Amino acid sequence: MRLSWPQLLIVIALLIVILVELRTVLAFFEIHLSVTATAVLAVVVIGALVLWTVLSSADRSE
Amino acid sequence: MKIHTYEKLWLVASLVLIVGFIATITYGSVALGITMVGDEEPTIEPDEISDDERFGEPRVEQVGENEYEAYVIAQTFIFQPETIEVPADSEVTFYVTSRDVIHSFSVVGTNTNTMVIPGEISTLTVEFDEPDEYGIVCNEYCGDFHHTMEGQLHVVPEDEFDMTELAVEADDEVEIDDDATFEVAVENRQLEALETTVALEIGDETLEEDVTVDSQMTEETTFTVDSADLGEGDHDWTVTVDDYEESGTLTVAEDLEDEDGNEDGDEGDGGDDGDNETDEEGDTDE
Amino acid sequence: MSNTFVDAYPKQARIIRQAFLTSFIALAIGAFFGLIQALHRTNILRAIESPTYYTVLTGHGVFLVITFTIFFLVGVYQWAVTESLERGPVDMRFTWGWYGLMLTGTMLAAFAILAGFTDAIDVSADVLFTFYAPLQGHPIFYIGLVVFVVGTWLAGADWFRTWLAWKGENPGKRIPLPTFMVLTTMIMWYISSIGVAVAILAFILPWSIGIVESINPTLTRTLFWYFGHPVVYFWLLPAYLMWYILLPKLSGGRLFSDPLARVVFILFILLSTPVGIHHQYLDPGIAEGFKYIAMTNTMFLLLPSLLTAFTVVASMEHGARQRGGKGYFGWLKALPWREPAFTGMALAGMVFAFGGFTGIVNAGMNINYLVHNSLWVPGHIHTQVGTAVALTFMAGSYWLIPQLTGNRLVGRGIALFQVVLWFVGIVIMTNAMYRGGLIGMPRRTAEPEYEGFNYEVAAGSVGELNAQVALGGTLLFVSTMIFLALMILTLFNGESEPIDNRTIPAPLSGPEDSPPVLDNLKLWVAIAAVLVVLAYVIPLASIVSRGGLFGPDIGPFPVFVEPVSLLIETVLVSIGW
Repeated sequence: MRLSWPQLLIVIALLIVILVELRTVLAFFEIHLSVTATAVLAVVVIGALVLWTVLSSADRSE
Repeated sequence: MKIHTYEKLWLVASLVLIVGFIATITYGSVALGITMVGDEEPTIEPDEISDDERFGEPRVEQVGENEYEAYVIAQTFIFQPETIEVPADSEVTFYVTSRDVIHSFSVVGTNTNTMVIPGEISTLTVEFDEPDEYGIVCNEYCGDFHHTMEGQLHVVPEDEFDMTELAVEADDEVEIDDDATFEVAVENRQLEALETTVALEIGDETLEEDVTVDSQMTEETTFTVDSADLGEGDHDWTVTVDDYEESGTLTVAEDLEDEDGNEDGDEGDGGDDGDNETDEEGDTDE
Repeated sequence: MSNTFVDAYPKQARIIRQAFLTSFIALAIGAFFGLIQALHRTNILRAIESPTYYTVLTGHGVFLVITFTIFFLVGVYQWAVTESLERGPVDMRFTWGWYGLMLTGTMLAAFAILAGFTDAIDVSADVLFTFYAPLQGHPIFYIGLVVFVVGTWLAGADWFRTWLAWKGENPGKRIPLPTFMVLTTMIMWYISSIGVAVAILAFILPWSIGIVESINPTLTRTLFWYFGHPVVYFWLLPAYLMWYILLPKLSGGRLFSDPLARVVFILFILLSTPVGIHHQYLDPGIAEGFKYIAMTNTMFLLLPSLLTAFTVVASMEHGARQRGGKGYFGWLKALPWREPAFTGMALAGMVFAFGGFTGIVNAGMNINYLVHNSLWVPGHIHTQVGTAVALTFMAGSYWLIPQLTGNRLVGRGIALFQVVLWFVGIVIMTNAMYRGGLIGMPRRTAEPEYEGFNYEVAAGSVGELNAQVALGGTLLFVSTMIFLALMILTLFNGESEPIDNRTIPAPLSGPEDSPPVLDNLKLWVAIAAVLVVLAYVIPLASIVSRGGLFGPDIGPFPVFVEPVSLLIETVLVSIGW
């Protein structure tokens, strides 16, 4: 585990928050992300983060 | 007192930030001329609003070439006038007061926004460049149906804007062979004289008359139609002045049972008799 | 061998637990009302008639920003005074006395508000938390508020008395920092709550009873806001106290600087009150110059918060490095993120910083035109009192309740999830509120969509904003319920001991580094009084000379609620009424 479970939880929360706010910021620059696109992006980013955290657990524990 | 170096830097940066904020606001006030709602207007007792020269009849007035004043009353749960119409490319000063509790007068999506406090008159001067339609809401809680309190602000293209009022007084029915009269009053509340044409259409006939209405004046035109030319029956008629239209129906009868009252239309202005009297105003204040 | 607060001061722990209990009951009701509102105004679930929305809204405001926050405050402050002076109050009967007064006041006001749900009792107070005249609530509502405020005044007197007794036993010693924070907060509170006391006792109460006929709405409104801005610091300062006292310890270190902490609290005494007119930027009858003065004062009020940001982050970094953290940002990883008390406060601080900048927009006099009374404002309130304060209180409870009960916190992992859930919920909800405010959607309304026009949404749609508000509000409600459940479970978790002990490590730079003048409370009171006089005497004189003390013949508009709420009806039916 590159991150502990509590750390992972907090990073996920931060990512959700950043995505919500980023979507608003982008709208000011005329870049419109739909709700679905944002949700898909969130799933992909968070999924990647979880995979990155969990898959690296093997080499850490050794 | 011991203060860490980084902390001193932070303190200085904070003060710079604060002074910067104050400077931007001051710039908005001084250079951009965004003034705050102030205390220039005298107080007004809510009970006296109805007798007030400005608020007795809530409306829009023209006060300069491109300058207008709007007198608005906020009360539970309406605005008077409900729809305010002003031309584009104009400067409008709103005078708003309340008849009862605290309201607001807020033009949605703009920075035209003020509290409306009973006893006080809020003034806001706003420039309208482009034609648009806005909603007006009360954004201060004013009672159980606060959420229904709304109005409209229409900024119309300059060439479509006028402050003309058209009123027609016409006969309902006439005996055949008598003349039917249509008294048309055109009021011009703008500062410029109004040159226009009054037209009456009835049956196959169209009568026209060019009129010039001076500022703040009402010009009356009378059309006379020989009912014999129309023939017996119902005849729809329409009076048009620019975009304003009044219409009604004239009945031409062989023999009127009630000889009095309905034969001629000259019973005085605004008489609430059997006449078909209608009224449409240039701005839609009520 | 446990060393908890309840072991050392069982009698004081008892009254603090009592205050927290009252606070949490208010939190439960207020949160439930919040959920009803979030679903109602977004038209997702309308369990009540729209006019009843304003009864719910009054309850949500009063129970959360008065009852929840201030009962929590007296609990925390009683803890801070007892712990830092190492002694209890001079007379515990007096302590129970002010608690009793506060409770009585709350019950009276709550009765007046909740009676608004039913026609059976001819009492209601749907005047919202700000009770702007000429809207008129039942006199019981105003009496309740006054009794409550008098209770808080006596609480302050009790802490001053304790401090004076301590001073007699410890001549020449510096005021311990937590007590210093308590005393300075109360000074600010005394100065500012005079405004609301005068507004109610001299004008609104006699008028609601019918002794005087008329009222000057601008005057009572100005007196309200004289109190209305400092009251937000009254909510905030206990959170600051916890950030200064508890957060460094929880991070594994100690407070960075005691002197700077004292300076920050003194700045709050000086600047909290002469800023209230910034809530009245758009009021007629107040000259622009007074508004400009309020604006500059408000901007300088940023200073204590910016200094706090530095001290808190520096203390956290110090703690992280003590725990082995390395690197420019790497130390962040070394912080005790698994501790809900720490994580909750850290997240609350982060939201507070963000919300602070939205506050600058509100404070920006001429920019205020754009956002005044729009949904932007409750967005701001929910990031500040609704998160910086409320989330800090909840996180602090995860540490304090074990200290006050001697029981170990139940469900530490769930508690961590709870604070994170709050963080996500508040951002989802307030993001939509800020955006809604910018398109002109009003606050304090049961139905923000109108017949005559549609909002021009820059990004997304009104439906999407509504969905976000409803989703965020629901997450916050769920988070509150988890918190309360954990509190109840901890209360009954008798066969256990807290993990942590009650010791608070001394600051890196202690009181010996701060000039003694900082502790000269009389001096700061005098300067604060001068600033208040400068900021308020002329505007108040002008308002009175314009409208008269009792206004230009403005009669009352009692707020009656006609329809019995469907919700309450359902509840009554279900319990067999």
